[in-house]
Order: sequence, then structure tokens, then C-alpha cells
Amino acid sequence: MATTLTISPMTRVEGHLDVEVTVDTIGGTQQVTDALCAGAMFRGFERILTGRDPRDAVQLTQRICGVCPISHGMASSLALEQAFVLTPAENGRIVRNLVLGANYIQSHILHFYHLAAPDYINTDGILDMSPWRPHLASPDMITGSTAVALVGNYVKALEMRRKAHQMGAIFAGRMPGTASFVPGGATKPVTAADVTAFRTLLTELRSFISNVMLADGEALLSVFANYSNIGRGCGNLLAYGVFDLNSAGTDKLLARGRYTNGTLNTVDTTQIREYVSHSWYTANSGDRAPANGITEPAADKAGAYSWIKAPRYAGAVHEVGPLARMWVNGDYRYGISAMDRIVARALETEKVANAMDGWLTQLVPGASTYTYKATPVTGTGIGLTEAPRGALGHWAQIGSSKLTQYQVVTPTGWNASPMDDSGQHGAMEQALIGTPVKDVKNPIELLRVVHSFDPCLACSVHLIRPGKKAKICSVDVSAGI
Amino acid sequence: MSNSKAMKAMGVSRRDFMRASSAIGAAFGLGSTGVTQFVSKAEAKETAAGGLPVLWLQAQSCTGCSVSLLNSIYYATIADLAVNTLDINYHPNLSAAAGHLAVSQVEKTYRQGGYALIVEGAIPTGANGDYCTLWPGLTALKGVTRYAERASVIIAAGTCASYGGLSAAKPNLTGAAGLSTVLGSRYTVVNIPGCPMHPDWLVGTVAYVLANGKLPALDAQGRPTAFYGKTVHEQCPHLAEYTTKYGRQSHAKGQSCLDCHSRTDSEVPQPRALGVKGCLFALGCSGNVTHSDCSARKWNSGAAGTPGVNWCVEAGAPCNGCTEPTFPDGMSPFYSLNGPGVDD
Repeated sequence: MATTLTISPMTRVEGHLDVEVTVDTIGGTQQVTDALCAGAMFRGFERILTGRDPRDAVQLTQRICGVCPISHGMASSLALEQAFVLTPAENGRIVRNLVLGANYIQSHILHFYHLAAPDYINTDGILDMSPWRPHLASPDMITGSTAVALVGNYVKALEMRRKAHQMGAIFAGRMPGTASFVPGGATKPVTAADVTAFRTLLTELRSFISNVMLADGEALLSVFANYSNIGRGCGNLLAYGVFDLNSAGTDKLLARGRYTNGTLNTVDTTQIREYVSHSWYTANSGDRAPANGITEPAADKAGAYSWIKAPRYAGAVHEVGPLARMWVNGDYRYGISAMDRIVARALETEKVANAMDGWLTQLVPGASTYTYKATPVTGTGIGLTEAPRGALGHWAQIGSSKLTQYQVVTPTGWNASPMDDSGQHGAMEQALIGTPVKDVKNPIELLRVVHSFDPCLACSVHLIRPGKKAKICSVDVSAGI
Repeated sequence: MSNSKAMKAMGVSRRDFMRASSAIGAAFGLGSTGVTQFVSKAEAKETAAGGLPVLWLQAQSCTGCSVSLLNSIYYATIADLAVNTLDINYHPNLSAAAGHLAVSQVEKTYRQGGYALIVEGAIPTGANGDYCTLWPGLTALKGVTRYAERASVIIAAGTCASYGGLSAAKPNLTGAAGLSTVLGSRYTVVNIPGCPMHPDWLVGTVAYVLANGKLPALDAQGRPTAFYGKTVHEQCPHLAEYTTKYGRQSHAKGQSCLDCHSRTDSEVPQPRALGVKGCLFALGCSGNVTHSDCSARKWNSGAAGTPGVNWCVEAGAPCNGCTEPTFPDGMSPFYSLNGPGVDD
């Protein structure tokens, strides 16, 4: 008989995520047969930005998400530079990459050890205290000396992610969130002492990533090889690309591209549209390009269950994130699954950290980091970059030297989107469907699949339906299910 | 399991913790008695039932204050706090439990009472609070009201929880408000504003409460004066450059600040554009009206008891006033790049 599970609160993700799944037995295996994901919080960010001084957007949009503020600052800077017709100072471009890279390292370490790993390690007898207990338990969890070693690395990783932020703050001013990013570059002048201090921390982090984090990733892979066949999802991957290696942005450390129906292809932003047939917005808000996005709530809309819109590329569902980036760039093409997402994320951490050492060498102490240009009366710009958890786009319009329109399409918008007008489930929903669930009272498999996407909900939600509770992906493990 | 076993497993050193305790005492001028009380409270956790229970709730938050908390090291690291000092019974980003298992832990703590309620994010009051739910059937609005009842100390972490912050920015579609506004005068809320908050401001305040069994001195905005008693401007190194050269007399003559800060013959560094070191007042800096010790404490410290590596103004960015109740609307626009004294 089919059982409905709700997981709420979904912990160890950013923001308010609810997951509701239907579990049934098919072909002798108890598994997820349907899944719905929704967010549970709304602030109205796009409306907050309208009418403001365009430069403030770089600061304000960083407050969309405290886990990936630097990515929003980067997307906003790029969008405004396009609208201003302004090329950032070369030193400023590099400084921004270094700060973004520092936050990639911070975010990926945090995700691997602190958000995802607790799904795989039984900490009984090692950490018998809150916030590590109570916890979901499963017979397949890692125990014994390996668990003790992983807990030790969990703590070491707290220190390492802190040092990644310390490193970023050398150019950012402070972390999380930087005051230094502006259209035209960065405000922080570069000194030789900054470069030395940054490199000292980077060297320590690179050692941890290559010697500890990657080894722990391999250990997880060897114990949980079965998760290489779980949580595949839609199989389509999309990356805007990130870390511009020239001021035109034509060369990137991680390339722009997509992998659709098994074929690599280029990205044409005009093919991106957002659908709302299963979201609480008016029909007028749907089937629109982000640049012309409208967000009108429709409180009693039939068939809707989420306040996240459904972005699609040429009508097709795409997954975004480190696996998509590494796949498109040719660095990782082993498979698409929950475990592949975790391994690709760890490998990407090493790739970015290694590249940062080269960028440090390219900095010119004393040379300008910033190019000024007056705010234009009118202009439009698109800022495409990648947050640690996937493709991020900002669409800005300026009129009378103020923001007249600002739309944000986030990575978790792509991954945790609801069904679209064609009835296609979002990427995370598709990844959940088919996931085996051994014990409906202890559905650890669902947490593992959801966490593999590193979802970030504060970013994704446009509007919540007032007065109505979302149908959500939530895991309720109370007795009686 | 005893805490000492956990400390060993987690590599947390007792000596580090003792040193951190002394630093906390120094920040609040506790003297040796206060520090001893704090340490004995921590030792009580090692030997007995546990430390101060904490319920950390996120409402309209971006998680930035929680991420900032993870950067704590000046007084204590997060591992140190979790193992030695606090029982973090619920934190949305740290708890191993999820769903009902997590909620049952919250309810158990509530029943026992005597915990620290720490709220991150603003509380939406519109639509009966339905713009934010903590878990099925419980809006953030109802949740903070319920869990405030049996808390021994209530802390608003960050500007959103303190005053509404970014979440309450115009047009504030959700009726977002700070915790003290939502709870009303029945409760005293300690506000730790900052967008994000500095981890030391929270950790130091919690330590003070543990050591003294009472709240620290608060200013009119509910902020601990130990951290928010002076303005950024009063402790800014660029102010020292001016007073060394000119003294403080100009402030007493009823002149506009820009009368001096737009002068082209200034003998101290006065940037004409972003990206240059020096006083940023003419470029939009709000440090003169913003209360915090950022300019002295700085951010992202690398070691216990050591100032941070940088802060906004040292990175060439004008202070945007993020610890003030009027942030962001009252501080916006953040830049003044076309005003007097600024090259266009």
C-alpha cells in the first residue's frame, strides 16, 4: 500500500525546504513513486530591489543567501557591468575570482562534512550530544574507527572552512558577504602582503582538500557505491560557467554549456523560460523569459503546490551544480547520481583551489582594482555565474538611473522546481522518484538524495501562497506512519 | 559519554577553552570572579547534565548569521561551544535529526524550559504569519511566541531578527518585523544586529550570560554596549589620521561634515573614488551613525583573542550601516559617487 511521507523541517540545507513523497512497492522493491518539493519562506526580494540605486543591488542581493552571497554579488556586478557597458579593472576581476573561490572552498567543505556526511556516519559512542543526536540511524552507516576518523575530520573541516573565509576576507573585507564587490571591479587595493597572507592560507587549504577531503570522498564512495545508481534524476545538465579568465568573460575556468539528451551543446539564454502551472502565480506570470519576468501571486490556483517557479531550457528539465559544471567542462563524466554529485563536488574543490594559486600570481600589487563609470540613465544587463550549488543568473533593467526590473533565477530554482506546464517533474523530484526506501519510519535514503543537490531555499522562493500551507517534500518519521 | 571523551574525539583542547574564557571576561570587564564562574559553568557541563540548552530558529533568514557564527574563534570555536558550553538542541543547519525527530527535540527542550532562544531572520506578521513556516502547522510567528515562553534568555541574531532588516525593506510585502516587536514588552530581547552579525558579538554575549546569570548592559536599541557602545567612526583608524593632523575642533563649529571631507587640500588621505585607501565619508560611508566595534575588532580572526584580518572600510568599501535599526532603507543608497569632492 502506498505511504505518504513528509519531511519538514529538512535540516542541513539552507532555508525552508519541505519534501513530500509517496512510497510504494514496485517489482519487489519499496521505493518513491512520486515526489513534490517546495520552499516555505518568502521575502519579496525582487520587489525590494525595484526603484533603488543600481549599485546597491550588489550589496542587497548578497543578502538573498548567506551561504552563497559572493555568487550573488558576482552575478549582480556582471549584470550591472553589462548594463553600464563597463569592463572591470583586471586586478578587480582577479580579486573577485579569488573571493568567489574562497567561498567555493568554504561552501563545498561545509556541504561535504557538515551538511551531507551526517547522513552516512553513525556517531553513536563518538558524539552523544546535541546537535548530533538524536539522528536518523541506518544499518549501512559507517561505524567504528572509520567513523571516529571522519568525525575528527568533521571538526578539522570546521577549522578549514573558517580559514577559507578568513582567506576570502583579505580581499572581501569580511565574510560571509563582501562589501568590496562593485560594478567596475573591487574596492580593495591589492598589496604584496595581501598576496602572501592569502597564499599561506590557500596552501594549507589545498593540502587539506587533496589529502583529507578527497580521501574521505573516496572512502564514502567505496562504502556507498550503491548510491552511484540512486538519485539520477533528469540526466540533463546545465552550466552557465564561472571564474572569468579574461575581462570579456569568453574564457572561463569552468565552461558554459549543457548536456541535453546525452549530447553536449551550447547555451543560448533566450531559450530559458520560467513556467508556473504548478506554482502559485497567475497564468500571466508563466512562460516568460527572466528578463520579462512577472511575479503575481494567485492564492487559490488549482494544481499549484510550490512558490518556486519552474525554469526550463528549451522546455527541458536540467540539473545544475558542481556535477553539471565538471561534466560540461570535461573534468568528470563517470555518471549522474547522488554519489557522483558528492564526488564531483570534492574534485571541483581541488580544481578551483589549485587554479586560485595561479590567479594570485597574476595580481599586480598597487595596480587599480576598480574602474569608475557613471550610472547610465537606461540599460539592461544579464549576469550569469555559478553559485557553489549551481547556475545563477541576474537580469537587471535600469530606467531613469534606477532599477526598474530585477529578476533572479537561482540554482535551487532549477533543482528544486515543481512540475512545469508539460507535467515534467523538477530535477530533485525526478531524482527522488525511484529511490528505494528500506524503512519508511527512517527514510535516510531521501535525505541522502536531497542533500546531494546541496539545496539552498532562501535563494529560490519568489512568493509563498498566503494563507495556504505548501504541499511539501518533508520527512515525518513519527510513529504510526 | 562524558564531554572529555567528546573533546578528545573532536580534538578540542581544554587549554584553548580556558584561554577563550579569559578573553570573554576581559571583553566585558568581568574580572577574575566572572571568568571563574564561566569556567565552572563549563566544567559543570563536563561532569554533569550539560550546558546551556539552545534552540536556534530561522525565520526570514538567509542563514548568513549562522555561517558567520561558524567563523567564531576569538572567544571560542563552534566545536568548543557545542562540546563544552552549550547544548545545541536544535539548529536547522547543524542538527543531525530532521523532520519529526528534530521537532520532538525542540518540544522536549521547551517542556524542560530554561534554554536560550536564539532567532535568526525577521518574523513575517502579514497573512497570519504564513509567509514563513518552521515546520507543518507552525508559522515562525506562532513559533517564536511559543518558544519565548519558557526561555531563560532571548537573543535576536542579526539585523533581520533584531529590527526586520533586509526582510522588512520597502515595500515589506510580508509585514516583516524584529523579534522584540513581535514579542512585545513582556520580554527582554537582546539584539545582536549586523548583516551578518559578527560571531564575537553573539558568543561574547552568551558567555556573559552564562558567567553572570543576567543580561549584559544594553543600549536603547537593545544591543550590548560592550560591542555596540561606540560608533564605527569613533574607533576608525581614518579618524585618527584627521585628529592627529587637525585635532577635533572642526566638529564643534556647526559645519557640515562634507565641508571638510570634500576639501581638495586635505593633508590626510581622502579618496576621490573607490579603490583607494582613506576616509570614505564623502563616498557614502555611514560609519558616523553606525554603532559597532568593527573598526577595532575587525572580521574573520585567525586565532583566539586576536583581531580580525579585515573589515569593510579597510577593504575600501563605505560602511553601509548594517547594525542599525534603519538598515537598509535608511542607509541606502550605499554609495555617494557623484557628490561634492568626488571626481566624476
